[in-house]
Amino acid sequence: MNISHKVTLNSPAFAVGGLAVVLGYMLSTAWITNNARLAYRDPDQRERIAAGTLDQQAKIQQQSEEINRLQSELTKIQNAVSTNRDSVKVINESLQQVKMFAALTEVEGSGITVTLRDASSSLAADVPMEALNIHDRDVLKVVNELWSAGAEAIAVNGLRISVRSCFRCVGPTILVDDNKIGTPVVVQAIGNGEQLKSSLSMAGGIYDELKQSSPNMIEITETTNMTLPAYAGSTNFKFAKAVAPKESKSDKSS
Amino acid sequence: MIIIPVVCLIVGLLLGVLIQQPLRGELGVYMAVACLAGMDSICGGLRSGLEGKFRTDVFTTGFVFNTLIAFGLAWIGDRIGINVFLVCAFIFGQRIFNNLSLIRRMWLTQWQDARERKRTQQTV
Repeated sequence: MNISHKVTLNSPAFAVGGLAVVLGYMLSTAWITNNARLAYRDPDQRERIAAGTLDQQAKIQQQSEEINRLQSELTKIQNAVSTNRDSVKVINESLQQVKMFAALTEVEGSGITVTLRDASSSLAADVPMEALNIHDRDVLKVVNELWSAGAEAIAVNGLRISVRSCFRCVGPTILVDDNKIGTPVVVQAIGNGEQLKSSLSMAGGIYDELKQSSPNMIEITETTNMTLPAYAGSTNFKFAKAVAPKESKSDKSS
Repeated sequence: MIIIPVVCLIVGLLLGVLIQQPLRGELGVYMAVACLAGMDSICGGLRSGLEGKFRTDVFTTGFVFNTLIAFGLAWIGDRIGINVFLVCAFIFGQRIFNNLSLIRRMWLTQWQDARERKRTQQTV
């Protein structure tokens, strides 16, 4: 190169060299950053989370059984205590009512059973694949519709639905609270069977929607007698506190 | 002469790889645009060196300011919802192409001149 005679090892070479180092550093950092960003967006993250839940299933199952046992024992003790005195008996009655409302007791009665299944095949060709599977939103819609139609107690695949229950799709399964369920999803509801049934099969409702995708996806049957288990999830309060009645509240604020 | 920047570039690349410090969030995008500005400046410096018009102050300030401006424009573009970084990428990309093609032509000319000189010397 003939410019090497003109530009000897003085400041220009060092300037170019120094800035080339800076540029190289910037380039590799941008590269690494981009790779790190792509890794962060890993699409199988949800599945890994699902796998993590899978390991816990046995434990959750065991603890649910334990909770159910303790709940029924508590009910038994409360009933036993109440037999001694009338006033206690009255209090216990209202307590049992509240527990029933909070889904903490086993209940029995008649109602309907809704079975949701993934479609084995679709008759209509233009139905997207996604519509052929049962999703959390389908379960949610059914449960919501049942509540609004006056269902008094609902269980999904033998898991009682309480005020804190939630439905969530994780990977190929649905979580009801912390419990994994798969299809077929069996929703049992105690209430006026006819009313519940007609509410679900309302035009444009969930029944229509699933029937359109594939006729075997939803099935509603009236059930005369069934027993729904008690809610076995967490019932403790960490953050919420009951607001005290007025007179005791003014004591506290002083 | 061309060896020094190339070696320095490799040193810089290795430095980045060894330090392994990814930037958080959006800063990565801005850094990529700033990289383009830096590459443009280096190519520009190389070209002006070949043309014999190289000035250290122009080159140094050009590198620093273009990099900062590219970074800042990309940042402000994100703040106001315009993909300014695309504009930066476009402009700098074009300039890099221009500079590199000029550098290639000048090298070609130099090489042909050298061969011509050799031949004339041989004939003489």
